[in-house]
Amino acid sequence: MLIWFLPLFLLFLMLGLPVFFGMLAAPGILLLLNGQERDLSLLYRNVYNGMDSFPLMAIPFFMLAGELMNRGGITLRLVEFSQAMMGHFRGGLAHVNVLSSMLFAGLSGSAVADTSALGSMLIPAMEREGYTRRFAAAITAASSVIGPIIPPSGIMIIYAYVMGESVAALFLAGIVPGILVGLGLMGMVKVMADRYDFPASRAKATWPERGQASLKAFFPLLTPVIILGGILGGVFTPTEAAAVAVAYAILIGMFVLRTLSLRDLPEVLSRAAMTSAVVLLLVGAAMAFKTVVSLSHAPEQLAAYILALSENPLILLFLINLLLFVVGMFLDAGPAIIILGPILGPIFVSLGIDPIHFAIIMSVNLTVGLATPPMGLVLFVASSVSGERVETISKAILPFLAVEILVIFLITFFPALSMTIPRLAGFVN
Amino acid sequence: MAILLGILRPLQVVLDHVLRLGRALAIVAIALMVVCILLQVFMRYMLNNALPWPEEAARFLMLWMTGLIAPSAYRRGGFVAIDMLTLMLPRSLAAGLSLVLLLLSGAVLVMGIELGQRHVTSGWMFASSSLRLPLEWVGMEGFKIKLAWMYLSLYTGLILLLAVNVELILRSLVAMLGQESRLRPMLDGSLRVE
Repeated sequence: MLIWFLPLFLLFLMLGLPVFFGMLAAPGILLLLNGQERDLSLLYRNVYNGMDSFPLMAIPFFMLAGELMNRGGITLRLVEFSQAMMGHFRGGLAHVNVLSSMLFAGLSGSAVADTSALGSMLIPAMEREGYTRRFAAAITAASSVIGPIIPPSGIMIIYAYVMGESVAALFLAGIVPGILVGLGLMGMVKVMADRYDFPASRAKATWPERGQASLKAFFPLLTPVIILGGILGGVFTPTEAAAVAVAYAILIGMFVLRTLSLRDLPEVLSRAAMTSAVVLLLVGAAMAFKTVVSLSHAPEQLAAYILALSENPLILLFLINLLLFVVGMFLDAGPAIIILGPILGPIFVSLGIDPIHFAIIMSVNLTVGLATPPMGLVLFVASSVSGERVETISKAILPFLAVEILVIFLITFFPALSMTIPRLAGFVN
Repeated sequence: MAILLGILRPLQVVLDHVLRLGRALAIVAIALMVVCILLQVFMRYMLNNALPWPEEAARFLMLWMTGLIAPSAYRRGGFVAIDMLTLMLPRSLAAGLSLVLLLLSGAVLVMGIELGQRHVTSGWMFASSSLRLPLEWVGMEGFKIKLAWMYLSLYTGLILLLAVNVELILRSLVAMLGQESRLRPMLDGSLRVE
């Protein structure tokens, strides 16, 4: 009987009930019908206990750090640095867009922050150089998905918490896939630049110019070193590293670059608090949902169904990637991971897939889903930043999505791509 | 209609003020969270003295931050949902569906508040392991903080969410009765939710 909570939940979701309420309503109704009223208070307690977590605190902190860096002119320094390095190639600004996203990804864990920060700066600049607005918006949206793949990553913190994995291991496993997405996008830009005769953005920078741009971007670029170095060196927990990143962003924004003032802080704090409150409530609901998932034996039944399709893990991984991709088209990465992680994770781990490898497949696939039509969140952000219609951007983004899908399959079928760094660091056997 | 608007208008004004206060407190909470964790790192490395309380204090603040600011996010449409169906349906059907969904959300909140009450009551029996009010600093007797003060965060959040839910239901009813022009714009526009 209880197993019906899953279809009921999907129905609620399709009807448009907010995920938070759906995750509680569907199991709640079935527990009531099943006469298990006492388990309802378990549901409530798990929402609370799910939110009451120290590792989860990294989410508001990383969001805050990203907001502060954005406000503090750090984004501009990253773009100038990328410009000095890659601006002279044909399709220079498109390359700059991708490289800036990769660098920004080391400071922030959110694709939305990436699109709005880089898009508002680079889309008008690209238009001035003769790119179409839809192309500029599409490459901005496509490259912004690197944000949550390269550490730090909000989605990976959520996954690690809900599934009991190591945040550091997931962060490390995201590095190569993130770089691969970036290089793949640059490759596609190069192909298109040759074909459509894109302009170079500037003459080749001299080494002194490059040195100067690097110097100006030195402090922002040090952030990922502090975060990852601190976590891996055992100096900080990920939550502490995130708090240090906040302090660092305030310090360089206020005292080094002098682009951030005390007056900016309330709005920045408020935005970070509001966005993370929604995520925290969702994670709380997910922990309650997870309890019902195990009470209902849904993973066992689903596992039997999935194994009936094939017993070959590679074929199943292929199929699951298709499923995740479709889910990603309609649902944001965070909620999708929260819902599907507890259901799918145990099935694939029992098939012999390393939990970290599966986590990366899920994270990258659902993150790419942020840029897939019809409901990709960053498409909407890119649309509001650029003024281009979502439908138009959705068409222009297709070649870039093809590259990203290719990367998803590469990391699925070549585990060494994502697993080598965590293995070398001793997180995986 | 007059009754609906008669309830809606004062509710909106009260929510405007209460949620603004909630946002202000949440801002203070997130700032203090950062301070607590930095203090913890500082004490551990610089003074070689790991404090027992900053971690729990920061969690306390995070729970209250969530409870106090999430209702503002809900009011601004910041709760994640797939709204494709409502966009595809004809206007009147979509309005009906939205109302049903709001009522369902309301039922979840009412149930949550009922369960929350029991949860909070149980919290008065237990004290926090590390958080205490150091009243001895002012010559009185210090005491450990009861867990109920933490439990109250989610409970308060649910009550505020229910108040917003009632507001949204009333607005939806007014709109369904064809009086949308008499509703004020939903957002006060100072913040976006992403």
